[in-house]
Amino acid sequence: MDTSTVKIILEIFHYLFFTCSLLAVLSYIILSIISAKETIQYVKKNSFVNYKHILSSPISPSITIIAPAYNESLNVVENVRSLLSNHYPNYNVIIVNDGSSDDSLEKLIEAYDLVHMDYVVDEKIETQPFRKGVFKSNNPAFEKLIVVDKENGGKADALNMGLNISESKYVACIDVDCLLLEDALQKMIKPFLEATDYKVIAAGGVIRIANSCVIKGGKLIEVNLPKNLLVQAQILEYLRAFLLGRMAWSRLNGLLVISGAFGIFDKNIAIEVGGYDTNTVGEDMEIIVRMRRHMEELDKRYKVAYIPDPLCWTEAPDNYKTLISQRNRWTRGTIETLRKHRKIAFNKNYGGFGLISYPYWLIFERLAPIIEVTGLIYFGFLIAFGLVHWEYAILFIAIAYLFSVLFSIVALFSEELTYNQYKKRGAGYKLILLCLIEPLILHPVVLYAAVRGNIDYYFNKKKKWGTMQRKGMNTAETN
Amino acid sequence: MITYQHLIDSFNKAPFIIQFAFIAVIIMVIAIVSLIISLKVIRSFLKIKDKEILKYKNEYEPLLIEYLYSGNENEELTETQQSIIAKIKEGIKGASRRKSVITILTNLMNEVSGEMSDSIRTLYHETGLIDYAIIRLKSKRWHITSKAIVELRRFKIQETHDLVSEFINHSKVEVRKETQIYLVHLFKFEGLSFLDDLKTPLSEWHQLLLLESLLNLENQQIGNIKPWLNSSNTSVVLFALKLTKIYNQFEMKHELIELRMHPDKEVRRSAIHVLNQLFGYEFEETPKPKNRQLKSEGQIVIV
Repeated sequence: MDTSTVKIILEIFHYLFFTCSLLAVLSYIILSIISAKETIQYVKKNSFVNYKHILSSPISPSITIIAPAYNESLNVVENVRSLLSNHYPNYNVIIVNDGSSDDSLEKLIEAYDLVHMDYVVDEKIETQPFRKGVFKSNNPAFEKLIVVDKENGGKADALNMGLNISESKYVACIDVDCLLLEDALQKMIKPFLEATDYKVIAAGGVIRIANSCVIKGGKLIEVNLPKNLLVQAQILEYLRAFLLGRMAWSRLNGLLVISGAFGIFDKNIAIEVGGYDTNTVGEDMEIIVRMRRHMEELDKRYKVAYIPDPLCWTEAPDNYKTLISQRNRWTRGTIETLRKHRKIAFNKNYGGFGLISYPYWLIFERLAPIIEVTGLIYFGFLIAFGLVHWEYAILFIAIAYLFSVLFSIVALFSEELTYNQYKKRGAGYKLILLCLIEPLILHPVVLYAAVRGNIDYYFNKKKKWGTMQRKGMNTAETN
Repeated sequence: MITYQHLIDSFNKAPFIIQFAFIAVIIMVIAIVSLIISLKVIRSFLKIKDKEILKYKNEYEPLLIEYLYSGNENEELTETQQSIIAKIKEGIKGASRRKSVITILTNLMNEVSGEMSDSIRTLYHETGLIDYAIIRLKSKRWHITSKAIVELRRFKIQETHDLVSEFINHSKVEVRKETQIYLVHLFKFEGLSFLDDLKTPLSEWHQLLLLESLLNLENQQIGNIKPWLNSSNTSVVLFALKLTKIYNQFEMKHELIELRMHPDKEVRRSAIHVLNQLFGYEFEETPKPKNRQLKSEGQIVIV
């Protein structure tokens, strides 16, 4: 290769990276604007809604909360109490003990006076069989609770068991360790009931980080900013993702994922599409993509709704190992889902879903880490060969960093103007400081985990869920 | 000065892309600094606001409770009540105080009934809060109008019927919805007359709110729902079916039988459900659908 050919290749690389960066920046700006509009609209619309009306209504639709549990012995009793304290009038809770090897079931039996009952399941979706079967409580105070003990089959399989057993019109699929606020179901069911000329197939909620928050009797008493920097950084990341990203995609009806930690589904449609896919680690994203695909193929008007109120609180990883394992799994889940449904990509038959949402996820979620790492390697190569124009490099690094900070501050702004959860003195300064350092402490880890996820997906097919070490939320003594 | 000149010269000589990037950096730095200052201001403002709310609550809550308990058996206002009204009237000229008073009154209104509820309504009138609500009714912003309607409903203000009724065909569904609930809440089943010629769909959420208002009425005497069962608006028919079931409208048997042939699947399903609820096994026979175009799925529902 002569010098001019090398120069042409380098030029192509430059423009490729420049275009990608520019597209990313533009997309974030557009999403911020759309999310601002949607947030204002949502706040206005809900500023005079009295959710108490639904509490005594004889026609409030039934909802089943399905919570799979695997070796959750540490907190399972407390977590179930929180699920049972919801204010919604017409709901029940199904805890699916997915072949736990610890004493979760025994603890539940003891705490809630459970007794075994004969139960014939209409197996609309194939699942692993029962182990000890179905349990219900003798105590009328826990009449809403059903505990199912089955052979281990993974989270998706446990959720499918819940779908088979539920007799409700809607199902709320949540992680058992999540803390659900008392009015969560009332708020989440609203979009399903408001729809008239289209069908809401699913609704997702915001997930907030509960590390260091005070929880008493299954209720959130005090919101605190954790001391652990990694967890703090994740708070900011979640604010960006939920208050800006998902809010905007909700307005565009382009949501491809509802967090597995908390989402409500139209049960019939979830069953029609075959329930959760047990062969992926990204079952929460996959089922939404499949449900959307199903509706598009039937040519029916539909929506995946999104509720920005802070209704569901969960424990975030507080060490690098667990965080990397979690993000690695998210990356593999994204790859698996996008690959499985690649037919949708750039396919005009799927409308905005095929032409906007899917390509966005493909480029800015699936391919972004690969592009970024390639860019870093390329930058290293330029440094090694002394080909860097430093005045350009410094300015563009500064732009990337400042834009990242700006985007975080906009998310913080949105939080302060809407839900303002971190009210304590000094929290504001900490969060601003966090905006400045978060790109340096969290982003590299997330990038590394994404790359590892790609490597594991292609070269380590046996890798499945990975482990999430729970420490338990900050529960105060219940008097 | 020389240093600045040097910087300006360097900038002018730089390629366009560097100039562009430099300007972008400056803009972003300014934006970040401005947003940080705004955040600080917002947080301080919200804290002051919270303190203010607490202060007004402590100031007005005892006053309002005193007002409620200083009434006499005659319906006239006592001197204490008149002096409290005068104090509140003066205080609510400020928007924050007014909001606080309305919040306290709304909470009280939810907790009391009978004479006390009437007494709160009198206070609402006498302090001029009603006038502020009427001003907000005329707002160009739909959510302000909606809030004003909600407020008038909560304080059971019937005098604003004509003003509120104007919003029955408002372009925003939220305003229409609040208007309809206001009418039902205050004018009972007569308030449902908007269903006679309703063209827009009634969502399930909206039906739930209307039913909730109806079920809270003291007088549970229902009007004639037959026209709504025959409505061309499917959502009105579905709502009327719910009324038929909840209010045990046995006399609607003929209409219900007819509705088993309705072109809409959900209506057919609901009609059969209501028939079974009201008349038990009587309606398990298979009717012949009027509409031969019904798909097999619809025929199964009828069966």
